[in-house]
Amino acid sequence: MSSEKSTVPSPDVVIDVSGLGKFYEIYADPKDRLKQFVLPALDRVLGGEAKHYYREFWALRDVSFSVRRGETVGIIGRNGSGKSTLLQLVCGTLSPSVGEVKTKGRIAALLELGSGFNPEFTGKENVMLSGALFGLTAEQMEERYPDIVEFSGIADFIDQPVKTYSSGMVVRLAFSVIAHVDADILVVDEALSVGDAYFTQKCMRFLRSFMKRGTLLFCSHDMGAVINLCERAIWLDKGDLRMNGAPKELSQAYLASLFEPEASGAPVEIANSGSNEVEGGAERPPSAVDAFVEIPPIEYVDMRKALIDASNLRNDIEVFQFDENRASFGTGAAKITAVQLLDAGGHPVNWAVGGQEVTLQIAVRTKTEIHRPIVGFVVKDKLGQIIFADNTYLSQRDTEMKVPPETTLVASFNFTFPVLPGGEYSISPAVAEGTQADHVQHQWIHDALILHVQSSSVCLGLFGVPMRSIEMEMKL
Amino acid sequence: MNQISPGAMLNSLWTHRGIVWLLGKRDVQSKYKGSFAGLLWAFINPLLMLLIYTFVFAVIFKARWHGQIGDSRAQFALVMFVGVIIHGLFAEMINRAPGIIFENTNYVTKVVFPLETLPVISLGSALFHCLASVCVLLVGLLICNGGLHWQAVFFPLVLAPLLVMAIGIAWILAALGVFIRDLKQTTSFVTTAMLFLSPVFYPQSAWPEKYQQLFMLNPLTFIMEQSRQVLIWGKLPDFTGLAVYLVIASGVACIGFAVFQKMRKGFADVL
Repeated sequence: MSSEKSTVPSPDVVIDVSGLGKFYEIYADPKDRLKQFVLPALDRVLGGEAKHYYREFWALRDVSFSVRRGETVGIIGRNGSGKSTLLQLVCGTLSPSVGEVKTKGRIAALLELGSGFNPEFTGKENVMLSGALFGLTAEQMEERYPDIVEFSGIADFIDQPVKTYSSGMVVRLAFSVIAHVDADILVVDEALSVGDAYFTQKCMRFLRSFMKRGTLLFCSHDMGAVINLCERAIWLDKGDLRMNGAPKELSQAYLASLFEPEASGAPVEIANSGSNEVEGGAERPPSAVDAFVEIPPIEYVDMRKALIDASNLRNDIEVFQFDENRASFGTGAAKITAVQLLDAGGHPVNWAVGGQEVTLQIAVRTKTEIHRPIVGFVVKDKLGQIIFADNTYLSQRDTEMKVPPETTLVASFNFTFPVLPGGEYSISPAVAEGTQADHVQHQWIHDALILHVQSSSVCLGLFGVPMRSIEMEMKL
Repeated sequence: MNQISPGAMLNSLWTHRGIVWLLGKRDVQSKYKGSFAGLLWAFINPLLMLLIYTFVFAVIFKARWHGQIGDSRAQFALVMFVGVIIHGLFAEMINRAPGIIFENTNYVTKVVFPLETLPVISLGSALFHCLASVCVLLVGLLICNGGLHWQAVFFPLVLAPLLVMAIGIAWILAALGVFIRDLKQTTSFVTTAMLFLSPVFYPQSAWPEKYQQLFMLNPLTFIMEQSRQVLIWGKLPDFTGLAVYLVIASGVACIGFAVFQKMRKGFADVL
């Protein structure tokens, strides 16, 4: 995965798009379609000038770029900017009006929600059919079938018709199929937002490992996902290619464009929604405001905390049961037996509030003797981005801890739970042996604990920083 | 991918044989899924129809096959049944063709699907129903005549050129059907008309002399007559005629394939 870019066309180019354009014929009246069908041909025969009976709508115009093997490219743009059209053209389900798309290798696509499944067929039949469409033989598919079902996690429903599936189940199955067909190029069209947290994490893990060998074309209007996953991004705006470059710079330009005067109402609206939180608070009964005034200024406490906690913006975090059967890896010399979140009083909770003190407790049971154990955790968002992480290494560095076999080791992390934007998060605990730089992983459980953040006062960013004071004054 | 040559046609049929088989099988099964008798219905239906034909034509009409002396009462029904089977095969293909892309919109807009196999799949399931009816016919002949003519082995050879012709027409109709939605109404009329304008209820010779040439333009006429030759009358088929028919049918299939492949680019825009 080289990030160098050269303008010289190299044999490594797997997707080459040049001068690509797509227009649709928009007819005001069905009769016009018939006229267009017959009359221009007639005009030409008679030597006259052919006339159009439709309005041209350009969904995509003069787009050129190329993607090299192993690259991960994100396509961003607002709704209706031509993202999906572009992906469909790359996949070959649409044919271009002008220009051309050249691709090399097997393309597997997850376009929109529906996938290409036939609703009347059972899950298994659809899997087999999809395999055949990707050019795999029936024997190859039989071989991979158990893995596909395992990955999708819907084994109980696999022999039911797909029309009985929920949209999440359909996406699970569709994703499982494209993950198992040895694609060279993967095209994913914001389908990942549908699955639940466990499955989304699984997909992100797959995508990250796929990125090491294959080419990924990823489409989203979520800038965070693009920055996080992609080495390069393409920005489409009303069918035109606005920018093609590093996701970071592009995201700044993209965000800036959202505030462009073109949509004159937009900046005002956003400014309003930002201040609403404060204004909304001011309209509350005085008691809430009083409480907020009375609170002694403790360090690291957001001055709006009491106000926010009393409002519906309170950052409620729902904690689901620890699930030790999640995918894990490691030597197995020690096993994580419990992960729980305790409140300030030391009681296990399944409901926490962002900005409050919590203790994350990870219990480990050893099988063999372990020297210098490290217990740690990683908190990830639904895109698999690590929000924060920590371990016991630094605090225990000077103690040569030796844990005999069949002993339970409990690590406790006491911290202020950050205020997180709404969505699903996961905690992955791990136990290792050695030092920060050189250690053996005994067990790492992916997404052992799922946190569901209900509502939030955070509108942008990965987490909320406690604001010690916010002031605004008019200078005359 | 969208090549239009006859070579591309054969290549596509060979490459996608797995999909054709999978979907063809599925197509037949889905028709009977959930019913108690299941696949037996493919046999029960033609059997019941044959019984009704026998009753109506032999008992009520007391019909005799024009120019032939059939002793058995069921003879007329059996002779007619040959025509019904062939017409049924052709009609099923033609009636389904204009709507076949609509029924599978997913395959056009969501995945890269070899759309040209869709009419082939419908051919497969029509052929299955045809063969089930032929089984019933053979049993009927066995009971009425006490035996079968050895020339019946040529029946597949007689049928083959019609299949080639039907697939060619189906490709054209399937492609046009996407753009002209009125086509579906038209085909059901045309196939009904063909039931009466083909030698189903009467032999070819019953048709007025001066219109005979016109009659031969009907793609079903020759095949029906030849099928009767081998199945009913125990004669060898007209090999030269079949060869000529096959050449024409291949031409139609190549044109049909080319038309389909040319027009498929527009499918996704309309659906």
